[in-house]
Amino acid sequence: MKNHTSKLKRFFQDFYLVLVLIFLYAPIATMMVLSFNSSKSRTQWGGFTLDWYTQMFDSSAITAALYNTLLIAFLSAAIATVIGTAAAIGISSMKRIPRTIMMGVNNIPVLNSDIVTGISLMLTFIAFGISLGFKTILLAHISFNIPYVILSVMPKLRQTSKSTYEAAMDLGAGPVQAFFKVVFPDIMPGVLSGFLMAFTMSLDDFIITHFTRGAGINTLSTLIYSEVRRGIKPSMYALSTVIFLTVLTLLLITNFAPENAQKADAAGTGRANGTDGVFGKGGKRLTTQQIQKRKTIKKGLLVAAAFCVVVSVCFSTYKYYLVSHSDELYVYNWGEYIDDSVIEEFEEETGIHVTYDLFETNEEMYPIIEAGAVQYDVVCPSDYMIQKMVENGLLAEINFENVPNISYIDEKYMKQSQSFDPQNRYAVPYCWGTVGILYNTKRIEELGVPAPTKWADLWDPRYDGEILMQDSVRDAFMVALKSLGYSMNTSDVEELREAKDLLIAQKPLVQAYVIDQVRDKMIGGEAAVGVIYSGEMLYIQEEVENLGLDYSLEYVIPEEGTNIWLDAWVIPANAQNKENAEKWINFLCRPDIAKKNFEYITYPTPNKGAFDLLDEELQNNKAVFPDVEKLKNGEVFQYLGDDVDTIYNEFWKEVKAK
Amino acid sequence: MNRLLQKKYLAAPYAVWMTGFTIIPLLMIVYYGLTDKSGAFTLDNVLAIGTAEHVKALVLALGLSFISTVLCLLIAYPLAMILRNRNIGQGSFMVFVFILPMWMNFLLRTLAWQTLLEKNGVINGILSFLHLPNIAIINTPAAIILGMVYNFLPFMVLPLYNVLAKIDNNVLYAARDLGADGLQTFIHVIFPLSIPGVISGITMVFIPALTTFVISNLLGGSKILLIGNVIEQEFTKGSNWNLGSGLSLVLMIFIFISMGLLAKYDKNGEGSTF
Amino acid sequence: MGQPLIDLRNITKTFDGQIVLDDLSLAVKENTFVTLLGPSGCGKTTTLRIIGGFESPDKGQVIFDGQDITKLPPNRRQLNTVFQKYALFPHMNIAENIAFGLKIKGKSKSYIDDKIKYALKLVNLDGFENRSVDSLSGGQQQRIAIARAIVNEPRLLLLDEPLGALDLKLRQDMQYELIRLKNELGITFIYVTHDQEEALTMSDTIVVMNQGYIQQMGTPEQIYNEPENAFVADFIGESNIVGGLMLHDELVEIFGAKFACVDKGFGVRQPVDVVIRPEDIDLVEPEAGTLVGTVTHLIFKGVHYEMEVTTPDGFEWLVHSTDMFPVGKKVGIHVDPFDIQIMNKPASEDEEAVGVNE
Repeated sequence: MKNHTSKLKRFFQDFYLVLVLIFLYAPIATMMVLSFNSSKSRTQWGGFTLDWYTQMFDSSAITAALYNTLLIAFLSAAIATVIGTAAAIGISSMKRIPRTIMMGVNNIPVLNSDIVTGISLMLTFIAFGISLGFKTILLAHISFNIPYVILSVMPKLRQTSKSTYEAAMDLGAGPVQAFFKVVFPDIMPGVLSGFLMAFTMSLDDFIITHFTRGAGINTLSTLIYSEVRRGIKPSMYALSTVIFLTVLTLLLITNFAPENAQKADAAGTGRANGTDGVFGKGGKRLTTQQIQKRKTIKKGLLVAAAFCVVVSVCFSTYKYYLVSHSDELYVYNWGEYIDDSVIEEFEEETGIHVTYDLFETNEEMYPIIEAGAVQYDVVCPSDYMIQKMVENGLLAEINFENVPNISYIDEKYMKQSQSFDPQNRYAVPYCWGTVGILYNTKRIEELGVPAPTKWADLWDPRYDGEILMQDSVRDAFMVALKSLGYSMNTSDVEELREAKDLLIAQKPLVQAYVIDQVRDKMIGGEAAVGVIYSGEMLYIQEEVENLGLDYSLEYVIPEEGTNIWLDAWVIPANAQNKENAEKWINFLCRPDIAKKNFEYITYPTPNKGAFDLLDEELQNNKAVFPDVEKLKNGEVFQYLGDDVDTIYNEFWKEVKAK
Repeated sequence: MNRLLQKKYLAAPYAVWMTGFTIIPLLMIVYYGLTDKSGAFTLDNVLAIGTAEHVKALVLALGLSFISTVLCLLIAYPLAMILRNRNIGQGSFMVFVFILPMWMNFLLRTLAWQTLLEKNGVINGILSFLHLPNIAIINTPAAIILGMVYNFLPFMVLPLYNVLAKIDNNVLYAARDLGADGLQTFIHVIFPLSIPGVISGITMVFIPALTTFVISNLLGGSKILLIGNVIEQEFTKGSNWNLGSGLSLVLMIFIFISMGLLAKYDKNGEGSTF
Repeated sequence: MGQPLIDLRNITKTFDGQIVLDDLSLAVKENTFVTLLGPSGCGKTTTLRIIGGFESPDKGQVIFDGQDITKLPPNRRQLNTVFQKYALFPHMNIAENIAFGLKIKGKSKSYIDDKIKYALKLVNLDGFENRSVDSLSGGQQQRIAIARAIVNEPRLLLLDEPLGALDLKLRQDMQYELIRLKNELGITFIYVTHDQEEALTMSDTIVVMNQGYIQQMGTPEQIYNEPENAFVADFIGESNIVGGLMLHDELVEIFGAKFACVDKGFGVRQPVDVVIRPEDIDLVEPEAGTLVGTVTHLIFKGVHYEMEVTTPDGFEWLVHSTDMFPVGKKVGIHVDPFDIQIMNKPASEDEEAVGVNE
């Protein structure tokens, strides 16, 4: 009877454990499956492939990020363990009041939100003129790791009896010797679990790294975040799968292999101690504690050893890419906005070493350049942001003598860029495009809505939950302002207020505000319509075809007119390698390079030389190269001044908060 | 005496470090939070919490993180109890199993939930296959709560497990022996003894949930603005560091409340997470 | 005294395939002080836990006052336990600890308050109501644990090595305290210990256990003076156990010397074990002794001298005597017939005196 109920109880417990495990591991399993998906889309299965694994090992960006991640995790955990263990010993021998103060401050980084910690560290680094980079990430990680080490060493120290330390001294050991021979082995499990915890926290951190990193330094987290913009490369899933399986295997080996031997051993100890080892509960606890202690040590050592191996392997791979160069160039660009092989070719041709870094939005890039926390040599912002940078004196004039290939840039784009760079002194156009509506033909048929032709169609209540809007202030307001017939560069508060109210009215219909995930979500059939940058079209059309979807996705430029955007290369005023930057710009303007780049990023190129090299079919694809001249009311974003920016931001916040 | 003096100084490197990388940065936040762009003293940035959007974002963040914390507690408590009652060797393995997901990148894990929850996502695919009604929680507060519970559950399980594993079985036997049934033993003995872990777990879940911006962006479709998103936008998009710092100062009030609670209920650090 | 208060019938219990209790039967009468005595791992604690309801036997029955309680959970048994490490509730003060069982039973506040006062007085800790558990010494905690159990007025009190963690002086005080309590309260005690002196001091009945079997059950005098086998003899007090040959009734040969004894019925020329307590050996002049040996060791123990006398066959006899014989002196060994205890050779391995390293 009792056996029966306890069996039932055990069953429910197991069932519960399994449920929680499914909850915890479902996303991980999903990611693993996606790492074998030949389609980049997260929602469509395009067939089995191992390509992403090959790409992962080929990509210098991923290898470097992995190396950084592991190195930072290892170094920060190791340094934090040393400082933290020493501090824990020191604190534990303090009097009550200083101890309380120390522990209180120690708790701050643990309890403080990551965002506040990250920002406060960033502010400090900038205020003290420490340029952001590898070392600032490392410093930040050590700072938030130490408290975890202290918190796991302190309880062990409390358990250690003072008399063993004194006994060791009595037997002739010096204080240092006594510590390492007696106290340290006792607190070893705490030190190790502190190390492991610190390692894990460092590995998993995104937010603090996000705020404290600098040029050319990416950890896996920041690399992934920068890719969220254009959609995650599945090689990231492949990498995560590899890391995860490595750790899992290690864990299984350490846990199951030596267990039997240890059990017998521990039981023996129990009996020799003369406690009621086998039967009494008190005795049981003692012996299992010993098992656990030994296990933790063993596990910790094994994991640590394994990571040393991984780090050294990564290091040697990284060394392969890290040939020392006398010439340096720091590039700051959008994510997935260049063909990696172009960078390699540039390095080969010029012997200049490129440090390549990514940003997600213009607004994120701006303060970094303004604060000069990282000294980039060449940056690729958008129109209105270039204007803002010019007006705030952040840019250097380009010496066009060093950029002869400027002649390949179509005259009309140079003219267009005069709207933000009146005398064409600062910027060299790189990509351009329009913003329009992408719609799912099958879905709108199901909803019984005619194909959209104008922005105002995005207020059709039949699109309930079917609209994907752009998650950026200017783009969102552009949609509303244009549908009202106003200029998208208006600084009229009343017009803006009207646009704001319109956006609020639209919100219930909106499924999500996203940036580049519009692409994946539309391919996945998540929504009926989405506001999207034109450059994605080529990829989208190919993908729809490859996946054999039963719907097609069409792009329309709304009647009211749209944003004609232009991204261009500029050189910050504080650039250290201006000539190299000009070489870089010149190189990118070369027709063959521009063509290659276009084929990878598929955003329309302003490079006439490259355009002429393309297939006729592509040249005439209006989804890719719309006729700018025919666009009515097409506008380029302008910088409206800080005060108007603030109004935009306030209104946008109101929209989001509704 | 001399020896004691020496030992105490082992904490000196950390004291210096703490000053440089914890206290000074906090003072920087205070400085930025209490000045305007020209550097003049102002309380506007802190008082800005009173504007309608900010209040809404804060209240929503408080609400969602409160629900998430309660859910975490409800899920984690039975879990920690089960782990405690298993033999310890197995228990520590199981505990490891619950930390293991943290080795998969936080962003990827959250993105994976997006894939699972989407309208045409994995879960709905399975539900359709089983001819069950589909779920539509992506881009809703429910999805954000799910993301919070998922990401912060280990921080609740660990302190609870630690504190429960420390309870002497004999104390529980004693309660049974004195006439308490299973439920009474739980109410009068197990739960009161686990309070340090409960408080620690609540703090470790509530604070990060309160301040997150990544989860609300990825699973809320950026439609739902939490206080973390507001601060993040002020720093990365709005370029208004002063306002961001001012709002961060407001958030720190909650952090200090948590520290106070921890100090009160967990004097010996028994409920420490790790 | 009709039926026993607690009656264990054919209890068998295994852990992980290892037999801990093998077909054990034990009956305890009301109002007695019974001690389960044995080395670590002998099954005494398991027996107690089965009575308490914390373990369920694989086979057999637990009968309490005529009723089968084998399947009853601990909270529904009319008995209480005092645990080895006290197991006080660390988050409650002393009064709350003592009140726990009464509150669970829903007793009135005034009743509980009276009981707390009474119990604290009983264990000589009046006025400790609001103290915290941490602030008490081991002995005080143990008394609270006892108070916490007895306020529930159990008919049977189980004590699991309750004095194990206390120092000698305190242990002796507590022993008297326990005897006093038992007499005042009139409840039945089952007491588990591995300390034979404690068992001899307090018990009405001692149950000697080893390897899951009851080796001998009897009054302290019986256990001490008439051990039934070598294990019991060796475990209870110190003794010289030597192999002998029973020549016939009342005459045994040890190392070739003939000793008169009072035992009968072992047959003729049968090998037996002979137990002689160290204090029962008289050292005499060599010519007056049955055996002759040399003093090889001498320690002053206070009330007596402890000596080792080695006989030519190499056996070292342990002798306690108030007379001192210096090392190297030749002495004779004499034992009175009624001080010689004859036992059968162990029939099986199980009864052998193994694993005793107390």
